[in-house]
Order: sequence, then C-alpha cells, then structure tokens
Amino acid sequence: MQRRVTWVWVLIAVLLSGSAYALWPTIRIAAMDDARRQAAEEKDPAAWMRLKRKAIKLGLDLRGGMRVVMEVDKSKLNPAEAKDAVDRAKEIIRNRVDQFGVSEPLIQKQGQDRIVIELPGITDVRRAQELIGRTAQLEFKLLEPRENVQRILDRIDLVLEARDTTRREPVPEEEDIFDIFSDTIARADTAQLVDVPGDITAELAPPPIGERPFTTLLEPVGNWFRVVREDAAWIRRWLEDPDVRTEIPPDVQVAWGSKTGYAGGLAVEYLYFLKSNVELSGKYLTDAQPSFDQFRKPVVNFTLTRAGGRIFARVTGANIGKSLAIVLDDRVVSAPEIQSRIPDRGQITLGGSDYEEAADLAIVLRAGALPAPVNIIESNVIGPSLGADSIKKGLTSVMIGISLVLLFMLFYYRLSGAIADLALLMNIIFLMAVMATLHATLTMPGIAGIILTVGISVDANVLILERIREELRTGKTVRASIDAGYKRALVAIVDAHITTLITALALFMFGTGPIKGFAVTLAWGVGISLFTAYVITKAIFDLRKGYKTLSI
Amino acid sequence: MPMRIIGKTSIDFIGLRRISFYLSAFLVLAGLYSLVMIFSGRGNLGIEFAGGTMVQGNFDSPVEIGEMRRVMSEAGFDDATIQELQRDVANSYVIRTRAAPGKDVKIGMQIEDALRAAFPDNEFHLDSIHEVGPAIGKELRQDAGLAILVSLVGILLYIALRFDFRFGVAATIATFHDVMTVLAVVYFLDKEITILVISALLTLAGYSLTDTVVVFDRIRENLKKLRRKSQFVDGVNLSINDVLSRTVITSLTSLLVVVVLFIAGGEVLRDFAMALICGIVIGTYSSVFVASPVYVEWENRRPRRFK
Repeated sequence: MQRRVTWVWVLIAVLLSGSAYALWPTIRIAAMDDARRQAAEEKDPAAWMRLKRKAIKLGLDLRGGMRVVMEVDKSKLNPAEAKDAVDRAKEIIRNRVDQFGVSEPLIQKQGQDRIVIELPGITDVRRAQELIGRTAQLEFKLLEPRENVQRILDRIDLVLEARDTTRREPVPEEEDIFDIFSDTIARADTAQLVDVPGDITAELAPPPIGERPFTTLLEPVGNWFRVVREDAAWIRRWLEDPDVRTEIPPDVQVAWGSKTGYAGGLAVEYLYFLKSNVELSGKYLTDAQPSFDQFRKPVVNFTLTRAGGRIFARVTGANIGKSLAIVLDDRVVSAPEIQSRIPDRGQITLGGSDYEEAADLAIVLRAGALPAPVNIIESNVIGPSLGADSIKKGLTSVMIGISLVLLFMLFYYRLSGAIADLALLMNIIFLMAVMATLHATLTMPGIAGIILTVGISVDANVLILERIREELRTGKTVRASIDAGYKRALVAIVDAHITTLITALALFMFGTGPIKGFAVTLAWGVGISLFTAYVITKAIFDLRKGYKTLSI
Repeated sequence: MPMRIIGKTSIDFIGLRRISFYLSAFLVLAGLYSLVMIFSGRGNLGIEFAGGTMVQGNFDSPVEIGEMRRVMSEAGFDDATIQELQRDVANSYVIRTRAAPGKDVKIGMQIEDALRAAFPDNEFHLDSIHEVGPAIGKELRQDAGLAILVSLVGILLYIALRFDFRFGVAATIATFHDVMTVLAVVYFLDKEITILVISALLTLAGYSLTDTVVVFDRIRENLKKLRRKSQFVDGVNLSINDVLSRTVITSLTSLLVVVVLFIAGGEVLRDFAMALICGIVIGTYSSVFVASPVYVEWENRRPRRFK
C-alpha cells in the first residue's frame, strides 16, 4: 500500500513539472504586451519563431484571419501533369504566401484535389484572395497581322449577318478598317520595352460604316480594338458561338485586355487578336521586381534565364516593329511595340494601377504560375475585432465557470471538495500542457471542450463524494467508506467518460477545423480527468491511514 | 452535518409515470416532426451544410432592415435574409443568401461592397464572412451524418456490453428521447443548425446516458437484494430516491459551467450552450421518468426477474 501511494506521487510530480515546462512558452508570450512582443520578434526572429511554435496557438476564429479551401481544376491537364498538380500548386502558393509576409500560414493538401490555406491576421482579404487564387500564367504572344484579322472579322460578320432574318441592305464595299486614320487620340496602354526609350502614338479610326454586326462594335485603337462596356457582352457571347468560333483559325487567339479604360466618358474594354503560339512563357523568368517607369507609373521589371534570354532575343530580333503582347492568365496586360532586339529583360506596364498591384504581380511571377486554375470552394473570413471579442468572452466564461464550480465544491463538500478542486485544477493544467505539446490550436469550440471537461471531471468527483457520504450514513468507518465510495463509483465514472470519448472520437474522425479542435480538447480532457478525478484524489485520501472524522 | 441540497426523499416516481409518459411522448413526436422537417430542407440549416454565403458586420449607426433588403436585391441577391444580432456591439446584422462561390465571384465581398456603397456615411465594420460552395456543403452534411452514425453505434455497442438487454433498451429509449427533445427545441426556436449544435446533441446523448447509468446501477444493486415481485416497484422507487441527490448535483455542476457559457460566452457558443442546457435538464428527467418506467413496465408485463 505504501509503495503504491508513492508511485502516484512521483507521477504527479513528474506530470506537474512536465506541464510547467510545456506551458512555459505560452505563459511567457501571454504575459508580454504587444510592444514587448514586437521587440522580441525584431531582436531575434528565429528564436521568436521557435518560442511561438511551442506555445498554444490561437485558432482563426480567435485571432482573425482567412481560411480558404481551393480546388484545383485538373480538367485540362493530362494524367501525368494531374498527378502532381496539386502538390505543385501547394508549393507555389506557399511561395507566394511566404513572400506576402503572413506569419504562421497554414497550407495543406486535402484529399486529391484540394488545398486548405489559413492566413491568420490577414486584414486585406481581397488582396490575399487575389494573391493565392490567380493562376499567374504569363505568356508572350505576337499580335496577328492586320490583314489576317481583317479577314477573320469579315467572315464573322458574314456568319452573323446570315443569321439576321430581317436583312437590311447588303454589306457595302469592304473597307479595310485600318486604312482610316483620324487625329483624335486616345492614349492606349502601351509602353516601350526597356531598352529603347521613345514615344508612342496611337492610331485611331472612326467607327466603321456598314451592316457588320461584329465589327461595328469594335473600335480600332493602335493594333487592337476598343469595345464599349455594354457592347462587350455581345462580343463575348458571339465569341462563344460555335459558328463564330469556326471562323477563327486555331492559330489565332482572341483575348481581352486585363484593364478597362475610359474613352469619351464611357467605360471600355480592349480586345486583341493574338497568335496562339506562345513565344515565351513565364517559366523563363528568374526575377520580377516592382518599380516605376519614367512616367512614375508602377511597372514590373523582369529578367530571364539564359535560355529564356536567347528565345527572347530571337523573337524580338525577328519581329521588330511588331507588337508583342504580354498575356497574364489569358488577358493582355500590355502589347508594346518591339523597337529593337532585347536580350534578357523586360518591363510590364500595368497601366495606371497602384504600386501594390505591381508588388503583388511581382510576387506571383517570382513564385511561378499555378499548373492549373484553382477555384475557391469555401472561404471563411473573421475580422480581427470579432476574433478579439471571442477570446475575451471565451476565456472569461471559462474562468467564471471554473470559479463557480470550485466554490460550489468547497461549500458543499468542504475539505473533500477542496481536494476535488485540486484535482480539477490539475486536470486543466495537464490538458493545456498536452495541447501545447501537440502544437494544437485553440479555437472557440475548443474552449467549449475545456468547459465540458470541467463539467465531466466534477461529475466524477461528485459521484465519488456522494457515494462516500452514503457509506458513512450506513455507519461504516471513514476509511471503509472512502474505499467503498471509490470502488462503487468507479463504474459509473468510467461509463460517463467512455460515452463522451466515443462522441469525441466520432467528431474527430469526421469533423474539420474547429470541430476537430473541440473533439481533441474534449477527448484529452476526459481522458486526463479519469486520472485526476479518480487516481489523484484517491491518492490524497490515502495519505492518511485512518481517519477519525472526514470533512465532507 | 454535511450540507445537503436534497435530503431523504421518498417520491413515488414510478407512480407518476402516466403523466410523464404523455409528456415524453409529446416531446418525442415533436422531435420526430422536427427531424422530418429538417431533412426535407425546411430547417434552419447552417451555411456550412446548406451552402451559401453569410456576412456578419455592424454599422456605426442604426440601419433599417427594409433598406438593406432593397440594397441586397439590387445587388442581385433577391433571397438575402437579414437578421439583427443581439450583441453587445450595436447595429449588428447578419446577412444570408444562397448564392455560393463560383469561379471568379466573391460574394461576401460583393455584399460588403454593396453595403458600403449604399450607406456611405455609415461605416460598416466587417465581422466575418463565410462562403460555402455546394460541393463542400454536401460533404459536410455527409460527414456530420457519419459522425452521428458512428457516435450512436458506438454508444449502442457500449450499452449492449455494459447492460443486460432490458436495461440497455430502456437506456437507449431514454437517450433517443433526449436527443429528439433538444432537436425539437432547436427547430422550433429556429436556431441555426451548425456542426457545433450537432456536437452538442451528440455530447448530450452521452450525458443523458451517463445519468441513466447512475440510476440503473443503483436499481440493479438494490434489486439484487429483493426476492419478491411485490417489492419490485418499491425497489425501483427507492433506488431513484437514493440517487436523486447524486444525479441532481451532477447535473447542477454541469449546468453551472454551461449556463456561464450561455450568458457570457459570446454568440458563437450561445446556441451550443443552450442545446446543452436543455440536454442536461432533459437527461436528468429522462433517467427518472423515461428509462425507469420503461424498464418497470416491461418487467411488469413480461416478468423475467420475478417469475
């Protein structure tokens, strides 16, 4: 008997000191105010990271931030590519997020097709979603020559006219749209490739005449077209029409500009006819940096690999005077005229956006293009104020709840209640230590799990103490009552704990995110409670061999 | 003398079983009705199960809900529902719509934009956005269903192992009764059914069972000492009275923490706490007024213990 009791006390001592060790980082961080934390982070970021990793993390619902589930659209990939598409996408996104500078992001693969991304502390949600969601496929393509474009437009017009049952006059003599100049200027978004400064003029033509349904809506601007926003819907619809599509040869791609503009007070979009062939792709980029051009507009300067540089030089050298379109995710960012042969670098003008956009584009270009497009299928954003509010409320209720219980046990069962209280406190300490060791995240449901643990733990003690009281009433000795109480109550206690454990396990298996947190805290809490509520309290009662009276 | 909340009692619980039977039958029927309603899509399923978008935020100054509804309609969300939230932050609203994330559409932010544009002088603070696509919604429903299934099967197995057949069935009926009752409460109060609420339902099933176990353990113990059938009902009554103190106090201590959670724990956990409060109360009730009478009736009609 003596030896067994000692064993328990040794175990308790070990667990308590282990807990203190496990919880020390959490306590340290919690005790610092924001200013001290900032200072610590700046002084030695690596050490700070290590410290943080050992502390209990706050979940997104307590900290604020963004959680996104993305699905990789593998439909256009061949089987070989599809196999590691998700892993590659994951790495690229991780790259982007790292450069964006989010602290402690979480990026995980889920299933075969999905990626879960958690960005704590994010306030600019739009920017974050843009950053992780854009495919960032960069391609350089030449513009299709005018004559070819003209021919295609003619054919499209014919197809569409043939559909029009209320035929008006036949189409007048064909005119080459590009032949008509005028001196009204609209500045198109063109800029020079870096090497040769110069100036650009855009050429405009007045709206074409005739019955051409398609071409009428296109206004030539430089080497491409401008379309008023309302008309753009028509163009889009027609471009998806299978009859129209057959008129566009496979080596020609029709692409929209990435930006809208304004002309004559109306919102306009830009339409380009490109050669489908990719002259150079983004994978040849070695670096991309945001900067300003000579007009103080934000740009992204990029450099190419040796191989890329050779290709670029060849393409630019062979196409001087033509326009090279810079296409990002099938949208044309700009299409500057090639003035001279360029060996290894270039500049992308974003056309009057802010610097942030250039910085973000540089990030995605550096990190690389996603192997396939991704769709956001679930997103959860928690504002920081709601997060802080939740923590406050959650912790407050835990404290109040525990205090009430402690007080009740003390009043109702007196010294024996105090012993139960001790066990309860140890339960909570051990539970927190386990969470810190497992690098678990504390969420709001997790706090609920802690509270439930308190409830169940106390229940166990109530069962024991009530039983002891009962035994005392039948006239047994104190020692005998205690032993009988513990023995008889054990069964019911084990029942309660196991049924709760079953529920927690089921929720853990099938739950995601915060519910897993609930299940984990509940499961551990209940498990530990079996030890603290029963074994530890019994050990304390066993400290004395014989009792005269018992404060219960 | 130790403090006692419940002294020595001798209430004829089994005698009351007629009344309690009607009450319990009513509760179970309400629960089944709620279950049917929920499955046919008429329950207040949370966003994570139904798919859709939920935006929560608050304004600096009060806004008319009708006005907001119009703004939402104009923005293309005809089915948007708007609720004012009871929070310590004033002018809090939650907006829900079925529209779900598509390829390039960020609905939550569209809603935010629409609100900001419509009320330029009244600053809108975003609390949270939750957008769930239909695919995820379906999966979460399946996962929740599986969790419930596994939980219940686990509990049933456990009952089968621990108890003899009749006790087991009586306990199962009591637990089922409890879950149905709380489900009815959740449904009729139109509370949002989130995975948290489902967790509460599963947890309270465990609680209810434990409470029933406490009572049944004592019944079993006492019945071992009895020989004659005439003492049977008395024996059960005695057992219940014996453990009354125990079950009431365990429920009390559990209620203590959960009530605090309900009052001070914030909106996220409020419905969860409410479900648990109901569950704990009903769990105690059912151990005494459902499980025990069922067992008694069964034994009365088909005696096995006392032939």
